[in-house]
Amino acid sequence: MSTLQAENLTYRVDSKLIVSEVCFQASSGEFLAVVGVNGAGKSTLLDLLAGLKRPTSGRILVDGKAFQNFTPSERASWICHLPQAVRADLPFTVEQIVRMGRYPRGDSWMESAADAAAVEAAMQRARCFEFRHRRFATLSGGERQRVLLAACLAQAARILLLDEPATYLDLGHQILCFELLRAEAHNGALCFAVTHDLNLALAHCDRLLVLDQGKLTADMTVAEAWSEPSWMSNFSERLRICRSPEGERWIGYG
Amino acid sequence: MTMAGQGKWVALSAVAAVAAAVFLPWIGPSPIEFSRVVAHQQPDYLIFMELRLSRTLLGLLVGASLSLAGALFQALLRDSLATPYTLGISSGASFGAILTITSGLPSVAGLPAVWVGALLGATAALVIVAGASAQRGQLSSFRLLLTGISLNGVFSALILMVHSTAREYRSISVTHWLLGSLDSIRYSALTVFAVVASLMAAILLSRAKHWNLLMVGEDWAATRGVDPQRLLRLGFVCGSVLTATAVALAGPIGFVGLIVPHIVRARISADYRILMPCSFFLGGVLLAAADAAGRIVLAPAELPAGAIMALLGGPYLVWLVRRRS
Repeated sequence: MSTLQAENLTYRVDSKLIVSEVCFQASSGEFLAVVGVNGAGKSTLLDLLAGLKRPTSGRILVDGKAFQNFTPSERASWICHLPQAVRADLPFTVEQIVRMGRYPRGDSWMESAADAAAVEAAMQRARCFEFRHRRFATLSGGERQRVLLAACLAQAARILLLDEPATYLDLGHQILCFELLRAEAHNGALCFAVTHDLNLALAHCDRLLVLDQGKLTADMTVAEAWSEPSWMSNFSERLRICRSPEGERWIGYG
Repeated sequence: MTMAGQGKWVALSAVAAVAAAVFLPWIGPSPIEFSRVVAHQQPDYLIFMELRLSRTLLGLLVGASLSLAGALFQALLRDSLATPYTLGISSGASFGAILTITSGLPSVAGLPAVWVGALLGATAALVIVAGASAQRGQLSSFRLLLTGISLNGVFSALILMVHSTAREYRSISVTHWLLGSLDSIRYSALTVFAVVASLMAAILLSRAKHWNLLMVGEDWAATRGVDPQRLLRLGFVCGSVLTATAVALAGPIGFVGLIVPHIVRARISADYRILMPCSFFLGGVLLAAADAAGRIVLAPAELPAGAIMALLGGPYLVWLVRRRS
């Protein structure tokens, strides 16, 4: 059982607060959605948690230890980060990129047979095995996104931080992506996904972190999110909870 | 292609380099005979050992250094059009070399003055680029690229100024040097160069996986076990040393550092564990072969290796840019 704790996490650029005194704690097995309007500080929060940015104040504890003191390879064994985008014209093949997920897991020059198996499994799960020999630059946006997701799965880190993992994906693959993360959490990982798709988040995650102007304005379970929908007005006054004849809920707008 | 299949390409490239060292010295304007060389008969033996062999080995090392540096800078700057000369190191070396040529100084501390001038110029360029592009002690690819390009412009202007005030007979030497060419070289100097180049190659190759990560992005590398700042600094210094020594000995020979990594990427692998050693060996082969061709196509006149590379490289670059857009 591992935990991730944010204590008064603050990040400012010059005098502008991007992330402001964010506090929360999450444990392995949880799948959290990070939501908020554009510029609310979601990606910055993820960057802070991934160690890509140094907080102006506050700290991050991983299993009670200050994350700042971890070496780069210790960090990589704990945390995997899926960036919002990487450059599209990379000369690597799909397989070469997914293999990079295994780099932090050993100092050997070449990947082992176990690494190769993990890479293949990750490509199968993220549905990019069929085009594993194609160059990344020749793929569509959605195909590229699946490759990056496979690279994250191959890393097998304990904490997954994914910045809009469903971008560019068609509806079927969006659902697949969130189901994969749900399964990772079920197997003991702690997953965070920044997303704009509230329905996807409410259908697959356990918990919702709502950011507004850098502040964590709501930290609630999905059940609470349905029962007290005041947080939705953050996004648009037009959002409302709908019900299908079978009783399924979703967020609609009209 | 599997890793093992790609490993074969590394071995083949190494074999090609050895073959080039064995066969290319026999090519030249004056014919030499194998039996006479083996029997140490003059002038064949002298031509083979003192002129052709040392020159071929120099070509192999210069081509190898520049191709490896090119592959490195393409990852470091995340720009597939980056060359060993993008960061201004070579224009610094050129400026230093041209200052010494126009001053007429023959040698410094027993070494040809041009080498010393070039190395000093390269060091100055390195310090300027590192100093000007660092912000709060941090390097970034983007700032390195911009500073390097600016510095290239400044040094080119300085070279033009010095060149235009030079006396006529020295002006010819300047022009010749700026084209880049290979010449025979003493084995002691060649050995030092070989040691430096091999050391840099070993350091760079040992971090091959890290260059793969850095090629994707600094954040990508940072979350996969690498400190991108340390990696940038290491790559910048090693790449600059490779470039500076190659340029000091052969002048700013163009295109080899651009073309070879691209050919290897397109035909063999983009994985730096394969790309780096293949570029190293094949870059040497390409330059040494270009130089051998330059010795015979217009014999008895010699075409400098830099001119041959530019003739091949210019059209290649146009084709490359067209394919990219």
